[in-house]
Amino acid sequence: MVLDYLRLEIRRTLRDTGFVVLGIGMPVLMYLLFTNLGASGEDGAEWKTSAMVGMAAYGALGAALGTGGAVADDRSSGWLRQLRVTPLTPRQAVTGRALSGSVTVLPAIASVLTAGALVNGVRMEAWQWAALVLLLWLGALPFTMLGLGNGYRLSTQVTGIANMLCTMGLAIVGGLWFPADLFPDWLRTVSAYSPAHSFADLGWATTEGAAPGAGTVAVLLAWLVLFGAYAAHSYRRSARTV
Amino acid sequence: MTTTPRAVDLHQVVKAFPSVRAVDGVDLAIERGETVALLGRNGAGKSTTISMLLGLDEPDEGSVRLFGTTPERAVRAGLVGAMLQDGRPISRVTVRELIGFVGRTYPRPMPVAEALALAGLTEQADRRVDRLSGGQVQRVRFALALAGNPGLIVLDEPTAALDVEARQAFWDSMRAYARRGNTVLFSTHYLQEADANADRIVVIDHGRIVADGTVEELKRAAGGTLVSFDLAGEGSGWLAGLPGVTAVEIRGDRASLRSEDSDATVVALAGRGAVRGLRVEATSLETAFLTLTSGASGTDASGTASAAPGSARARVTTAPATTPPSATTDEMESV
Repeated sequence: MVLDYLRLEIRRTLRDTGFVVLGIGMPVLMYLLFTNLGASGEDGAEWKTSAMVGMAAYGALGAALGTGGAVADDRSSGWLRQLRVTPLTPRQAVTGRALSGSVTVLPAIASVLTAGALVNGVRMEAWQWAALVLLLWLGALPFTMLGLGNGYRLSTQVTGIANMLCTMGLAIVGGLWFPADLFPDWLRTVSAYSPAHSFADLGWATTEGAAPGAGTVAVLLAWLVLFGAYAAHSYRRSARTV
Repeated sequence: MTTTPRAVDLHQVVKAFPSVRAVDGVDLAIERGETVALLGRNGAGKSTTISMLLGLDEPDEGSVRLFGTTPERAVRAGLVGAMLQDGRPISRVTVRELIGFVGRTYPRPMPVAEALALAGLTEQADRRVDRLSGGQVQRVRFALALAGNPGLIVLDEPTAALDVEARQAFWDSMRAYARRGNTVLFSTHYLQEADANADRIVVIDHGRIVADGTVEELKRAAGGTLVSFDLAGEGSGWLAGLPGVTAVEIRGDRASLRSEDSDATVVALAGRGAVRGLRVEATSLETAFLTLTSGASGTDASGTASAAPGSARARVTTAPATTPPSATTDEMESV
């Protein structure tokens, strides 16, 4: 049943032009712009790799949070209410949503990595590519939870705005757009503990051929627990009114 | 009752909101295979009752049982399908995908093609739900209710957005589903729909059940029959004392008697030779509904109704009982 629901939701997401253009096209476009204007030479190659990870993480972040927008829409359209009068349990509905959210981050990740490899000539070992996709995919889960938390709690419009602010804010603070090295000291400290930075750090470590640091993983897990609790609380609250 | 539990059993159900007791002690029992209309004005408590019946809302007091178990369990077991009232169409999914998906959440769904055919959606099967017309979307909602082939379907104001033709098609579909031995509960504020499509009508007003029975029983409960004749210059003081008469109305030279025993009334009138232009009509369902939902002053309200020429009440009172009132789609709140 969950698989069926998952399939339905993935289909719906891929038919969403806004998702395809903004969620997949934007990160690729920004990546190509950022890496091909200005920087060049030896420094350029390194920047092309780290920006690739940053933008893939940014794309995944946006797609994961976007799940929340879809949930808010389903809530206001009465679809969630309709689901509640089918044998699908609320737990299955939320699980299906979380899974579909995490699957829909894959196109964003894959397209930025493809642009990195084909356009910008980023070269890595095969295992590094595989690990990168896997880690970015798993690491996006906290953001899916954040998106679900917003979607089960807020109206469609407010969710849209909240998700956009979260995506941009987390991406910037996390150093996905501009390296955190360029930040002032205080912001760099904040950045180190921010969810998006830890998320992208999984990828940066991989491109350097290293395993992600225990600290990075711990910070990200803490965010997963926090955002997961937020999603669960929002869902329980909405169950009373949906 | 001990062997096969009822499809629906509501006992003294209460739901209060800060400003109003939306449902105020409702008892409702529906046997398997029945088709029941829940009839009431907007705000009478229909939707709140249905929400609690489906487990979407918790009653403050009382109990709700479907097939002898809680609504949550019955829904989980796939015994219930529902067509909910509100909402926009679900986006970016085709009719076939959506109905197939909902059907597969049930243990024994009907084939998708069959659900499509029953709801009249075969031609729209591969179109996207958010690109259908209002009437077609309504049919999709109906298809969602029956996709899982549940024993009980609950339809909350199923024809609210439909034109007359679409309505007819909808009720044909609904009756086809009911004929398979399924239980159907639908809410409506259209009298004609309740009359034409239900075995039994439950009238709800101000959160309470004010009448429950077949159409004929409802009409009887609301003051029986209307006997009218020309006075031909005679006095009218003696009419109130005739057997069966509960109210007397004189308009011009014509007397209208509301009677709970029309046979006795007519015999008595014949005994006095007062039979010129004699007419005996059953109370129309609309009059019955108005009488039942106008509270304590019910009898008065319908008694004086025929004296108000041009008013909606007067119109329905004088409509011949055999033909439905012309204003078949009049909404109750317009009265």
